[in-house]
Amino acid sequence: MTQWSGYLGLILQGALVTIELTLMGSALALIMALLAGMGRLSRFFVLRALATAYIEFFRGTSIFVQLFFAYFVLPLIGLELTPLQAGVLALGLNVGAYAAEVVRGAVQSIGREQHEACIALNLGRWQGLRHVILPQAFLVMLPTFGNNAIELLKATSVVSLISLADLTFQAQVVRAQTGNTMVPFATILVIYFILALLISWGVRSLERRMARGLDGVRV
Amino acid sequence: MSAPIIKVDAISKSFGAFKVLDGLSMQVMPREKLALIGPSGSGKTTILRILMTLERIDGGHIQIEGEQLYHMERNGQLLPADERHLARMRQKIGMVFQLFNLFPHKSVIDNVTLAPMLTKGMPRPAAEKRAMELLDMVGMADKAKAMPAQLSGGQKQRVAIARALALQPKIMLFDEVTSALDPELVEEVLNVLWRLCAETDMTMLLVTHEMGFAHDFADRVLFFDRGKIVEEGKPDEIFRHPKQERTQGFLKKIIAAGHRV
Repeated sequence: MTQWSGYLGLILQGALVTIELTLMGSALALIMALLAGMGRLSRFFVLRALATAYIEFFRGTSIFVQLFFAYFVLPLIGLELTPLQAGVLALGLNVGAYAAEVVRGAVQSIGREQHEACIALNLGRWQGLRHVILPQAFLVMLPTFGNNAIELLKATSVVSLISLADLTFQAQVVRAQTGNTMVPFATILVIYFILALLISWGVRSLERRMARGLDGVRV
Repeated sequence: MSAPIIKVDAISKSFGAFKVLDGLSMQVMPREKLALIGPSGSGKTTILRILMTLERIDGGHIQIEGEQLYHMERNGQLLPADERHLARMRQKIGMVFQLFNLFPHKSVIDNVTLAPMLTKGMPRPAAEKRAMELLDMVGMADKAKAMPAQLSGGQKQRVAIARALALQPKIMLFDEVTSALDPELVEEVLNVLWRLCAETDMTMLLVTHEMGFAHDFADRVLFFDRGKIVEEGKPDEIFRHPKQERTQGFLKKIIAAGHRV
């Protein structure tokens, strides 16, 4: 019994690493999504081209290869990253590419009349975006961002391949030490599922809070 | 006689192959109240949108208070206006839309304070004080904390008017501001317009299908058809004794549809 609780401790340590990766990766993904999503809508060709290249490249190549590239190839050109840094970088850039299209779609879904109200009130382009368009678009983005965050959570398991001690890595350790496959993997399956539920729940409650008053019913 | 506040000179505008405005010219004097009437597609809304810089013109010139709207003078040459020039010119003009275009994620008072705080750097307390005065004037002070979705169409439109007034424009453009309202809500918005007329010295351009209101309110009525001003004059001349056949035909149709003239 004591033996199993020690192993559970290992797995919970792994859970912390997974949570850390998910939070930091999501933060980077959010930044990249906003930058690239707005870049796609830019008046300037160079920005549009850069954003498109980023999105297509990171959507079009494997997250495994991106991670290995960050961890094994970047040091060759003098950019040494810790496993955690490499993990956050690869996950954030990869998921950010998907989420960028969400940002673009959401901003485009805001009606022309809102843009025209901004012009009639003499708001600058950036002021209109910041105070009128993006707050409304963000509400449209949220449900899909929730999906993206869950995708990112699940993708964190690839970092076990570069020796980062996340949930999946620790389950392997426990399996190697105990010879038991069923218990460690069943345990992390449940933990991944609970973490995903937490993300869903968090995003839904954020959505409810932000939508307050918009439909004239809840205030 | 003073100089016109708006001077439109031979402007044209097409949407694809459809010529909305065809060499249109008009002048508006300071403080004048103008009603623009005519069948849909005649270009009356387009001219308001052009004055608000929501549509660009294909040709011609517009001057606001003697200054070019779509051009700027540099070393004696007329160049297309840049964003800075447009922003400066827009300060003189406000617009109220048919569908209100309120910001749904902001409360009534925040809708009114947003632009003065951002574009004029007004501190929040001053902006809110001014907003409350304006909301009071349009009869919406008790709804200052409400969200737009909680308001009726007439209430939304009154907030939209207060929002446009907050920037203290010299010229106000009203684009069919009662067309989207239920009949019983039209009057509360028209009453606000009467109040503006009595209490401010703004120049007002009104695109409307409320012929009775246009008759009582306007100093001058312009009848638009197919991108041109077909007839203009004092309300009585246009509504009681229209000279042009097209004006007569239009008014006949409007009266047949049950509108009071």
